[in-house]
Amino acid sequence: MTLQAAVTIVAEVEPGRVDDLRTVLGSMTGDAAGNPVLPFGALPGVHFARLLLLDETVDLDGASLPARLVYLSDVDGSAARHLGALVAAGGDGLDRVFGACRGYPPTATPGGRLAFLRAHLSRPDAAYVNTVGRTSRQILEEAALRDEIEGFLDGRDWSGSDPGEVRAAIADLVASRADLQWARRAASGLGLVGQLRLWTERIALVVLGLLLLPVLLVALPVLLVMVRIHERREARQQINDPSSVLGGRPVAEREDLVTQNPFSAVGFVKPGRFRRLTLTVLLRVVDVASRQIYNHGQLAGIRTIHFARWFFLDDKRRVLFASNYDGSLESYMDDFIDKVAWGLNAVFGNGVGYPPTRWLVFGGANDEQKFKEFLRSHQLPTQVWYSAYPRLTAVNVENNAQIRAGVASAPGSAKEVEAWLARL
Amino acid sequence: MPATVDARDVQGLVSRGYGGLPYARFTLLSVGPADAARAWLRDLAGRVAPADRSRPPSAVNVAFTWSGLRALDPPPAALQGFPVELREGITEAHRTRILGDAGPSAPETWDWGGPGSPTVDALLLVFAGDAGALSTLAAEELAAATGHGLTALRRLETTPLGTPNREHFGFADGISQPTVAGLHPAGRPADTVAAGEFVLGYPNEYGYRTPRPVLPPSADPGGLLPKDPDGGGPDLGMNGTYLVLRQIAQDVGGFWAYLDRATRTAGGASSREAQIALAARWIGRWPGGAPLVASPDRDDPAMATLNDFAYHDVDPHGLRCPLGAHIRRAHPRDSLDPSPGTERSIAVDRRHRLIRRGRSYGPPATREPAAGADEPARGLHFISLSANISRQFEFLQQTWLNNPKFAGLYDDADVIVGRAAEGGASFTIQGQPVRRRLVDVPRFTTVRGGAYFFMPGLRALRYLGREGAGGVGA
Repeated sequence: MTLQAAVTIVAEVEPGRVDDLRTVLGSMTGDAAGNPVLPFGALPGVHFARLLLLDETVDLDGASLPARLVYLSDVDGSAARHLGALVAAGGDGLDRVFGACRGYPPTATPGGRLAFLRAHLSRPDAAYVNTVGRTSRQILEEAALRDEIEGFLDGRDWSGSDPGEVRAAIADLVASRADLQWARRAASGLGLVGQLRLWTERIALVVLGLLLLPVLLVALPVLLVMVRIHERREARQQINDPSSVLGGRPVAEREDLVTQNPFSAVGFVKPGRFRRLTLTVLLRVVDVASRQIYNHGQLAGIRTIHFARWFFLDDKRRVLFASNYDGSLESYMDDFIDKVAWGLNAVFGNGVGYPPTRWLVFGGANDEQKFKEFLRSHQLPTQVWYSAYPRLTAVNVENNAQIRAGVASAPGSAKEVEAWLARL
Repeated sequence: MPATVDARDVQGLVSRGYGGLPYARFTLLSVGPADAARAWLRDLAGRVAPADRSRPPSAVNVAFTWSGLRALDPPPAALQGFPVELREGITEAHRTRILGDAGPSAPETWDWGGPGSPTVDALLLVFAGDAGALSTLAAEELAAATGHGLTALRRLETTPLGTPNREHFGFADGISQPTVAGLHPAGRPADTVAAGEFVLGYPNEYGYRTPRPVLPPSADPGGLLPKDPDGGGPDLGMNGTYLVLRQIAQDVGGFWAYLDRATRTAGGASSREAQIALAARWIGRWPGGAPLVASPDRDDPAMATLNDFAYHDVDPHGLRCPLGAHIRRAHPRDSLDPSPGTERSIAVDRRHRLIRRGRSYGPPATREPAAGADEPARGLHFISLSANISRQFEFLQQTWLNNPKFAGLYDDADVIVGRAAEGGASFTIQGQPVRRRLVDVPRFTTVRGGAYFFMPGLRALRYLGREGAGGVGA
């Protein structure tokens, strides 16, 4: 059984060391997988990883916020196991990266490094996984399987063949190959323990929901009115937003090099306890919904996100959003607007600079240009970004899994065989 | 009820392709002294064809790049609200990447518009009914321009339109165009697009007016400009549009030579029919224009201009028209997420439409591959008009044409004009019992030049050309 973990490490950078750190990260930019500092390609079970440098800034009241180094990875298994692997594979490369941070041991030992990483590890407030329980190893193996089958199909003219014959020929190919025997078994998926965990949470949620229902029915209209009051008040306020920079170019320079792109953005939560609380609750809802509802192939209709997460920074004054998505930023933003404007409004609408919302879910992202400006002006350059399968879209990954599932199971009806062959 | 577009103030090219004027010449200009250029523009504005005139005997339209707008030296406020695409231009590094302009299509190699060539400031488009009229009118217009300090950088000649109009690979072109609500007569609902998608100053498909230069009242004391309907300020963008021009060279010989190689029988026999059938799968229409989704097995003259069709109900898996066919990528109609086959899917398509006004150049090609012979330069002067270059032209090129992952595919960029950063050279023909796949399909088109232009409304032209009012004092 394998669930994925969204490993999140946030550390404060010593004021005088920011430029050094930027140089180190810069040296890793071109080759996240194999660079000598922290070769992500050598770590087992990693889907995605990134290093972000948040510059020193001020908050909405003008209080200074120190520079921060953020390490994010999406891994199979537990965060604890990943940290162990990171220390083992990273060695003194970790010193070069995290050595610039406050509290890093001056003379690092493996134990000291691990202790530092553990001390700065936090749980994201919400994490989305495209398909819960699908390991990076499975993704890579199934991509290789698909390549083998496609190459095999290219070698013959199949016109006039019966679908059943084609399927049988593919099954024979897989059966004849020692290196493909794994494909004849179904993917392990969540396994019993994982299923149990999900179901336990599900039942707890239902019970909790039933218990809270009377309270919610009374509270919800009141909360909505409060939201609307805040929205109207905020519409009249002008908040100077220190996190908004139109620095699109350094970001765009690193975009669209491969099929996937990283997205990182940071913004301030609107002032006041009400907004902070609203966002805290909503992120909890997103987190649970990602696990319970949107746990296979799509997030509210969006099929292009591999992993995403949100987490608070600076005592909930700021939120960082990070995702790994397919295609261009323009199409990613369009997807958001076309499919989940309501969801974006509910979550991002608590952020300073977001186009005005109405009743939490209306308005907002529907003002396409203002919404795109909001995202672009809060986007951060991702200094180091690693993907274990940069040339696969989430749709490809899912299709590959279905191809494998077809290999692993009995042929099925003629219709099913046809539908399966259409995946090739 | 859609907003009615003030057609008297919109340049004619927006509303019509001048099909009745088969002869056209596009001239790239460089602007000289601002005063003289403004005098030229004042004068020219009176000759520019507006969109409310049907069947004009000839037509002149004009557009400016970012450098051209600056060269006219307008008040600084007038330069504030233009979008980043126009300001950076088509050759900015990231744009080059997303547009796929690399290798033989890299701006460094372009015949014009690239970093090594003189800066293009303006584009003059002249249309006429016959060759003589074109050369007279174009010469007059050029004399007017050069008389005011402008320099002609390059003349882009075009192939006279034929009946039917075919591009050089031999396929009917330009069949599907959006109907602009409030400008064109009512059309098919799925093709009817909000005016603000093409004409600045009107609500777009999201119900908002696309950002554009709106000036403080002090910048237009003479009241030359239309007023911004939202805030009342002088609206320099109103009734204007953005024009993308790309010179796309076509390797007609290579196109048919590849098709011949790819379709030979096991015995080595060549088949014209098979070549056309494969090329039709790349395009999504037969040479005569019949869409494959309606007529998968043969060309059908009765369907030559058929445009009232969708994909999802008849052909969700690409068995009739491949998922990666050019027209299915450039205009997916109802075939994409969310909810293919529904109005929601069509609504997404509508946010990425282009008005196409391109013309071919070079002598008409025969379909016989000219073995080894030197081919004359041929291609398309691609022109698109839209209110948002990034969401319309660039999105289409990057996300739908260049993207090897389009519609769930793996490694298929558009064969006709798609260029992926890496890979993308496969073409999958969905079929039963199983797909057929071509790998390593070469590219038959290269980009030879290009630029982004602002095509102002007529009053905006007069404003940009107004006397004496340079940026320095205003």
